[in-house]
Order: sequence, then C-alpha cells, then structure tokens
Amino acid sequence: MSEALIITPLYDREAPGGLAIIMTEVVDLGMIDLRGLPKDKKFMDAAKAALGIALPTAPRTSAGMGDIVCLWMSPDQWLITCPRKAVGGLLAKLNASLEGIFSLAVDMSDARTIIRLEGDRVRETLMKGSSIDFTQSGYEAGTVRRMLFGEIAAMVHVVSEKPDVFHLMVFRSYAHHAWDWIEATAMKGSEVEFLSSAEAPPVV
Amino acid sequence: MLVITCPVCGVEGEEADFHCGGEGHIARPATENPDGISDDAQRDYMFMRKNPKGVHFERWRCDRGCGKWFHACRDTVSMQIFGYYGITQRPPAALLKKADPLWQAHFEAAKKPSAKKAKS
Ligand SMILES: [Zn+2]
Repeated sequence: MSEALIITPLYDREAPGGLAIIMTEVVDLGMIDLRGLPKDKKFMDAAKAALGIALPTAPRTSAGMGDIVCLWMSPDQWLITCPRKAVGGLLAKLNASLEGIFSLAVDMSDARTIIRLEGDRVRETLMKGSSIDFTQSGYEAGTVRRMLFGEIAAMVHVVSEKPDVFHLMVFRSYAHHAWDWIEATAMKGSEVEFLSSAEAPPVV
Repeated sequence: MLVITCPVCGVEGEEADFHCGGEGHIARPATENPDGISDDAQRDYMFMRKNPKGVHFERWRCDRGCGKWFHACRDTVSMQIFGYYGITQRPPAALLKKADPLWQAHFEAAKKPSAKKAKS
C-alpha cells in the first residue's frame, strides 16, 4: 500500500530573515468541527465523555488538556484541535458518543491552515491587519477570537504568553495571502513602536 | 463609522466585522400560504421596504465573531444604535416607541386577528 502524502497549504513557504517575529506553519495539528446545542445536557455530557474536557461555553475561550484543545467558535460550534494522526480515532469516539444526539462532528483538518506566530511583536503585527486591540485585557493565554484579518476571515488563538505564541487560523485557500501579509507587516523596521516606551517625536 | 456590539457573544467591532442583512421583520407570504400568493403580496415581500428616515429595525450578522444573526435598532440619519434584540424576537416596547411610526403601524397590523402572524 502506498502512504497518503499530506501536502500542507504552505509547504512552499519559509519565513525570510529579518522578521520581527518567528512564523511557521503548524503541520501536525488536525481539526474537528463540532456543532451541538449547549443547552442540551446530553450533548454536553457526550462531548465531554469523548474528549475528556468539558466544552467551553463562555465566548472567546478555550479549554485544553494534553493534546486535545477545544476552541469556542460560536454558542453552538467548537473547533477541536489534536495531533493530526489522532483525528480519526477521536472522531470515531465522538461520533460513537454522540449517537442519536442532535449534533455534528466533521474532520476539517484540511479546511484551514494554522500559522504559528511567536515573539514580542506578534500582537502589534496582528493589529496591523485587524480592528482589534490585542494589547487590551481580554487577550490572555487561552483566548480565541474570530476576526477580519487582512480583509479575510481568520481566527486567532492565544496559545501562551511571555513569550507570546499565537495560532492564526485561516481558510486553506487564503493561506498564502495571510502568510505574505504577515511577512510584509512583520519586517524589521516596520515596527510601529506602539507598544514601546519610546518618547513621542517632538511636535514642530 | 458604526461601532456595533454583538448581543449574542458580546464582541464589539466596526461595521466591516458585521454584515447588514437589511430590514428586519419581513414575513414571507409563501411560508404561510404556498398556493394562494397574490402577485401584490409577492411583490411587496420582494421589493417593498419601509426605508424610513429615522429609527429603523434591521437584521445584522456577527460575521467575524460568533456568526449569529440578531436585530438592531438604528437611526438611519445619525447612525446611532439604540439597542439589540434576538433574531426571533419582536422589538422591545422601549425601542418600538422610539422607532419610526411606520414600524408602529407594522406591528399594530400584525396584531389584528385578520392579519397573518408576521414571522421574523
Ligand atoms: Zn457575535
């Protein structure tokens, strides 16, 4: 038997030198789209039984344990990330657990790509492409935010802080657009110094 | 610029983060009566809008947030938003009082037993 070959959307891209952040494509994460009603106790219990974690119900939050992370997308939608090779098993477990319950679980691993952004300049870089102030409170580790980024639909997951690690998720067909946008806006020398304590230039 | 707050997920964003779905509370006559739609009723449903100069009820979608639809009460002149309510709900009394008289007439007519119940 021949092995299935996974070609990720950004296999042909590598971050150039001279960036203020570290950017890489995440190639080993799979994604499952899960829908169901949070008011349905049976659904919530069945999802918890399969995932080992209770689905987060507060907007823009996530819950994670080990390899499995549940990202809140909507009051009735979650994106589950897990190692790509574990998707099949987890999906089977979910579907078995959700049998007969009004819900939907689908492997969406190839619908989106995840770009990992790391460094002190990540928030500033993302702010160049969106209307969101990532320096506000409310964007701590674990936060999930769907947004308009660089004119496309995107979602950001604050994986950790100090140093900042963000996952930017965009649809596969927009992968190059998002990558090129970040490459251009994260160039050293293009910092807006918004987050620095540098003094304002004199007014003349 | 319009700054909108999603009543479903609480996210605040500018106009481009949302999507306007046009006038709210438009009942589709064919839903109630698929066989006996008059041309006039279908025309009104398709094309006739209140389009008031003043306080209006619209449908909006939290396009880049939770993806849910909701109703907003907006002044079409000043762009001020007075409030939000659920996509399956009628406007709260306080907002209806503020709204253009066309809207009060709309919900008065919907109340009459002869009128088909307007579904949003
Ligand atoms: Zn929302």
